[in-house]
Amino acid sequence: MHSRFYLSLLLISALFVLAYTGLAVNRELSNEWHQHQSQYKEFLIKNAKSEAARKRAEGIETGAIRQIYLSSLNKADRCMSCHMGLENPLMASGNLPYKQHSGHYLQTHAVAKFGCTVCHFGQGRATNMKEAHGMGRDTFWDYPIIPFKYIQSSCAICHDVKMLEAEGMHTVVNGERLFREKGCRGCHKLGGVGGDLGAALDGVASRPLHYFPMAHVIGDRTAYNWVKQHFEDPRGIVPTSEMKVSLTGEEADQLTTFIFTLRREELPSNYKLIKNITVQATDGASLFKMYCSGCHGTGKQSIYDEVLDRTIPAITNSAFLRLIDDYSLKSIIDAGRSGTQMTAWKDTASGLKEKELARIIEYVAENRPTQIPEPFGYNKENRDTARGKTLYEQRCNFCHGNDGRGGGRKLGINLRNSTVQNLLQSEFLAKTVLYGRKGTPMPSFGAEGEGLGNQEIADVIAYVKTLGKKKTR
Amino acid sequence: MMNGLNETGLAKFKGNLISLKDSFLESFLRNGKITSDKSRAAVMFNNFFLHVQGVKTHLNTLRPNYTFGLGLISLFLLLIAFASGIFLMVYYNPSTSNAFNTVKDINFVVSGGRLMRNIHKWSGEAMIIAVFLHMARVFYTGSYAKGRQFNWVIGIGLLVLTCILNLTGYMLPWDQLSYWAMVIVSNIMNSPKEITDIFGITQYFDIGGFQKELFLGGLNPGQESLTRVFLLHIIMLPSIISVVVGIHFWRIRKDGGLTRPENFEPMDTDASYALPPSKKGGIFPTYKTYGLMELARGRTPAVDNDVENTVLSWPNTLIAELAVFMMTAAVILVYAFYVDAPLKELANATLPENPAKAPWYFLGFQELVSYSAFMGGIVLPTMGVVGLLLIPYLDREEQNVGTWFSNKQGVWVTLQSTILGAVGLIGVLAFSINFGWFRNWWPEIPQLLIVLVNPGSIWVGFIIVWSLYTIKRTGSTRMGAIALFTMAMVTYVILTYTGTELRGPNWNFYWSQSQWPVH
Repeated sequence: MHSRFYLSLLLISALFVLAYTGLAVNRELSNEWHQHQSQYKEFLIKNAKSEAARKRAEGIETGAIRQIYLSSLNKADRCMSCHMGLENPLMASGNLPYKQHSGHYLQTHAVAKFGCTVCHFGQGRATNMKEAHGMGRDTFWDYPIIPFKYIQSSCAICHDVKMLEAEGMHTVVNGERLFREKGCRGCHKLGGVGGDLGAALDGVASRPLHYFPMAHVIGDRTAYNWVKQHFEDPRGIVPTSEMKVSLTGEEADQLTTFIFTLRREELPSNYKLIKNITVQATDGASLFKMYCSGCHGTGKQSIYDEVLDRTIPAITNSAFLRLIDDYSLKSIIDAGRSGTQMTAWKDTASGLKEKELARIIEYVAENRPTQIPEPFGYNKENRDTARGKTLYEQRCNFCHGNDGRGGGRKLGINLRNSTVQNLLQSEFLAKTVLYGRKGTPMPSFGAEGEGLGNQEIADVIAYVKTLGKKKTR
Repeated sequence: MMNGLNETGLAKFKGNLISLKDSFLESFLRNGKITSDKSRAAVMFNNFFLHVQGVKTHLNTLRPNYTFGLGLISLFLLLIAFASGIFLMVYYNPSTSNAFNTVKDINFVVSGGRLMRNIHKWSGEAMIIAVFLHMARVFYTGSYAKGRQFNWVIGIGLLVLTCILNLTGYMLPWDQLSYWAMVIVSNIMNSPKEITDIFGITQYFDIGGFQKELFLGGLNPGQESLTRVFLLHIIMLPSIISVVVGIHFWRIRKDGGLTRPENFEPMDTDASYALPPSKKGGIFPTYKTYGLMELARGRTPAVDNDVENTVLSWPNTLIAELAVFMMTAAVILVYAFYVDAPLKELANATLPENPAKAPWYFLGFQELVSYSAFMGGIVLPTMGVVGLLLIPYLDREEQNVGTWFSNKQGVWVTLQSTILGAVGLIGVLAFSINFGWFRNWWPEIPQLLIVLVNPGSIWVGFIIVWSLYTIKRTGSTRMGAIALFTMAMVTYVILTYTGTELRGPNWNFYWSQSQWPVH
């Protein structure tokens, strides 16, 4: 006998190779889609109503992957390898995965042109359920199948709001309305228009999973859950978030559905009916809601905001409007208030058009009383800034701070920013001090209020105007 | 008569037809039926593939506990990788827009594609382990001596080639792993900048930038880089490694086969590895062997010693080789059946993996890179390779060649170095993990100091000092080599483990991956 050791090693190894080759072949032939195909066929044969139907069922080809290849999208969708009854009316009330596609959608969206993942997402190339649906982080697939409650977002990739409304797609239509009316664009740019505090939202729904910090998400760590839960509790998901929104249940689902319409442009234009779902707002009231209400609310009351850590002034109440003219209003809106969350809204910064800004100002100033107070008559000559400083330190620093920065649990606004220092006229500031601002913590310092004389007020203003030149810290 | 002649012709033809099989086989194999020792020898030297092996093989070579078959295993893994690689090449498309899709298709729709991809991946990575262990076997049996010095050098070259082949393959699927591995490698190639910047000569002599652009074909990984890596992986490196493997084997033959102890004694157990040498003579008397290179000048194959302990290669060696091949195939097949080769998300240049890790076999070096890219990525690996290359030239002792660890002292030095290496290195790592390094203590410190003095360079310095001390202490260069090699191996293993298992996001320390912050 030749070498016992090597011959037995050879024999045992050869048995392993044979056995595992067999196992591998068996695994190839008995995988999920093979099983689904033969089960589907069996089901149809068993439930055939007529001889002809049975013949047809017997003629169904099994054992081959079925796919739609969309050459212009470089997509291959193999979903129908398991979803065999996709276009079979007999399977209208069948069980998944053999069920017919619901609704009439496939009549207008030929499977051969659209495939499946254009609307449903998931991994079209995969041939087992876990990876095809992209469920679980271990599939390393960024765009898992979209949950049914958000599916209307896919319609909005190509269709406009009017059509969606007519078709009864209320979830996404309401989501779009919420997006406009909750003031999301006060902080988020979309299509280059909007504020700067938050991230721009263009293509946000096409972002890879790793963009969404999942540490605090409850349940499956998907982008869908992230978006929804961060509408319900922004700081519960991102502790440092300054987002001012808290929606519940249905509204969160609706806005989430809208968010998932914001996909990167991927489909060629011959797939689409429209470019963008969002409705263009034109009137002042809608524009105010869209861009201002996120922070200012209705604008009637000033609000101390815990998250932003500062007082957000009332801007549509008459007490404010009687003091401020359109010029000063526009100056503040254009330049923003540096050092606060109020960002610049001039057309080059926010993408808003001059015409739209004018409409917003028109809307804000709508309730300006016809009676405006007498001018203060500020003049620059003979101002005693030393006395102003003393007065400031006695009367103003409690709210505005010694250095005039405000903020940080103080009620007053920052007086050092360039709007106060450069854009706003002393006349306007003096009037504000004299008459105060009703609806805000700023009291009147005039004879009727805190009892300062005009001379003293003018000195304080002169001092405040020097704050911007001083270095502190 | 005419008729008879005719008949004879036809009969001849008939006869030829009947013996077609035998005559074809004879012409194909160049020898007749294998019935005698002479024909057994003829099989070996008449066959192109077999003649690189001797007609007779020493018993020691056939003992599994001498070689553990590691060199053969490496070869067979290479062949398996070649075969499965050709399969994959049919489907793979080396373009940034399609590479990922075609790899997905190999996984999902190509019959047996996933298994083949797994086999290719795991045979490649197993080859690194096999080649490493093979190197350790050759080292510890002292088999780099007695004319084999240059073959050791070739072997180190093969080790490097194996790693580069694996690395280039890792970059082909164009997923996140591929992309960020490319970034890491290009950064390491760029790292001489660290030095040229210190001397302010980068704008005149930017060797780092040149290397990086040569590799990437641009400034960032893209189609050009993929094309280059693809060509490296499927044409250049396989051709080179095939030729070099051929030379490696040919030199083994020229050097008289594998090493063996000088005081070799046959044992009873040898009977289970080979047919014991026949003492009855036959045409090959045991006292004589035949060199096939008798016309060659200079050194002929060193085959004429210890002839009495050799056996015929056919069938003894060939059965052993076939068994090792089958075992290798079985292990790879079973592993590939259960464990899938990784494939992550599509490459995304805007989304760095955190941590962005190189493939595991380079994570030891990446750990060093985390101290200093230039030192850890270029200087220390180069020193490591050069150090390995120099071993046979700096240790020329020829006693005890063919004996594991040379002698009792060698066992002792190996043990000592293993323990000292493990404890010392873990100490250095623990120190730098707990207390940081220069940059954490003195943020303004010049980079040159960190490049020169960091945990990696200090440790390598210690290894060198330790092996010199061992030479002094034992009076033997072989012992010094054992100390050096052992410590280098221990270092490689521990650093690789640290980089693979203990480093998480931002290269911070974690005991296990389950403690990584959720993202």
